[in-house]
Amino acid sequence: MDAATLTYDTLRFGEFEEFPETQEPVWILGKEFNALTERDDILSDITSRLWFTYRKNFQPIGGTGPTSDTGWGCMLRCGQMILGQALVCRHLGRDWQWDKGQKQRDAYTSLLNAFVDKKDSCYSIHQIAQMGVGEGKSIGQWYGPNTVAQVLKKLAMFDSWSRLVVHVAMDNTVVIEEIKRLCMPWLDYGGACADPEGAGMLNGCLEGAGAMSEEGGPLWRPLVLLIPLRLGLTDINEAYIETLKQCFMLPQSLGVIGGKPNSAHYFIGYVGEELIYLDPHTTQPAVEPSEDGQVPDDTYHCQHPPCRMHICELDPSIAAGFFCQTEDDFDDWCMRVRRLSCNRGSLPMFELVDSQPSHMVSVDVLNLTPDFSDSDRLERFFDSEDEEFEILSL
Amino acid sequence: MTPYDKPQLQKPFKLRKSFATRKLEVAGIRSKFPNKIPTKFLVPAELTMTQFITIIRNRMALLPTQAFHLLINNSGLSSISLTMAQVYRDHQDEDGFLYMTYASQEMFGR
Repeated sequence: MDAATLTYDTLRFGEFEEFPETQEPVWILGKEFNALTERDDILSDITSRLWFTYRKNFQPIGGTGPTSDTGWGCMLRCGQMILGQALVCRHLGRDWQWDKGQKQRDAYTSLLNAFVDKKDSCYSIHQIAQMGVGEGKSIGQWYGPNTVAQVLKKLAMFDSWSRLVVHVAMDNTVVIEEIKRLCMPWLDYGGACADPEGAGMLNGCLEGAGAMSEEGGPLWRPLVLLIPLRLGLTDINEAYIETLKQCFMLPQSLGVIGGKPNSAHYFIGYVGEELIYLDPHTTQPAVEPSEDGQVPDDTYHCQHPPCRMHICELDPSIAAGFFCQTEDDFDDWCMRVRRLSCNRGSLPMFELVDSQPSHMVSVDVLNLTPDFSDSDRLERFFDSEDEEFEILSL
Repeated sequence: MTPYDKPQLQKPFKLRKSFATRKLEVAGIRSKFPNKIPTKFLVPAELTMTQFITIIRNRMALLPTQAFHLLINNSGLSSISLTMAQVYRDHQDEDGFLYMTYASQEMFGR
């Protein structure tokens, strides 16, 4: 009987390599596992993630558009997976486990319904593709990690059930004050920006904050922080490899969306020098929820050993994601990121600052115009016009 | 500057001018403008990376939501709080220029 089961599994999943038996720690979305003693826990943790793949035979997008996303939708699916993980953390908790074939909690059913391939599901392929038009992407066009992050940010505003703040940190910079304002918009930050002791005042304000949640803690809209990055031009700069691994070790980790060149993957962790990922490149038929809203969910969980690839194969365009349910989670994340930045030999992937650099706020401050007196002096150095330098003065 | 979305894979400037010519130009610029850093722009040494990025984003009329990354020597990002003088000190080419490449993000689809 055992032998028969083994043959069946081998046949079905023959193309997927078994998870390695190694002394190296395995990190998955902020949790550490031992590959030798916790093998079943690793596989069950990975299977519990929401797995969104190409689908076919769904309602045409926009009424007359495509009925399948095979060949174009992989980054959109990765966006669904990273946001799906955020919603799992938000409504079910990081430690929630999927029970195959069992009746699931109501929150899980609501969550899955938000991603079903229908035009009115909050985060469906339909919604993502159509919201992308505002980002300059026609339906069926390829997305980058930043594109899908921007779209998810807009869609989350319509999700009154989750009340998420999706923040996309641009220019490799996370501004703490900006995030606190977004997650606690009811607090008065007036003047904090101009105040040189703004950061200290901010903390003072929070102590006495009047807004309280039902549980009695200060209110905080749960944060999904997405950081689009470029870790090199054509290949990942090796100085970022250690910092990338450390991203998966933070308890707030939502993983990373990115891929190999042209093919998007959802990276959920690493072991040794290999990244562990969920791959959207399998076309499954679209699923129709039953009348009571139950979704047949077997195809929304990856039940074969997870895919792995060497870190050096990673395309340098990525977006790293983090989830902070409470303000304490966010403060803890800031503290951990600051600690990472001090490690020798490796480069930080992004910068964490207390407040917006003042020059970023006003564009007018930077009205740098060519300085003609300088230009005259410069002319003598160049004989051809096409090599002219543009001189910037403050 | 190279067109948006297309990473600059070679350095046309370096190909067009010999090392000796470039080195001579830098020497001339540095003596004439001791407080300017030779990039393809001549930028004030005290300019921060944040300011430099803002200038280029504005010149290219990029929306705030469009990804823009400046890579120094085609490899790494710099801290945005550093000044051009600091970046120049650490990353100038042997010809004396500071090479930076801008790029958006790659797209994924299949």
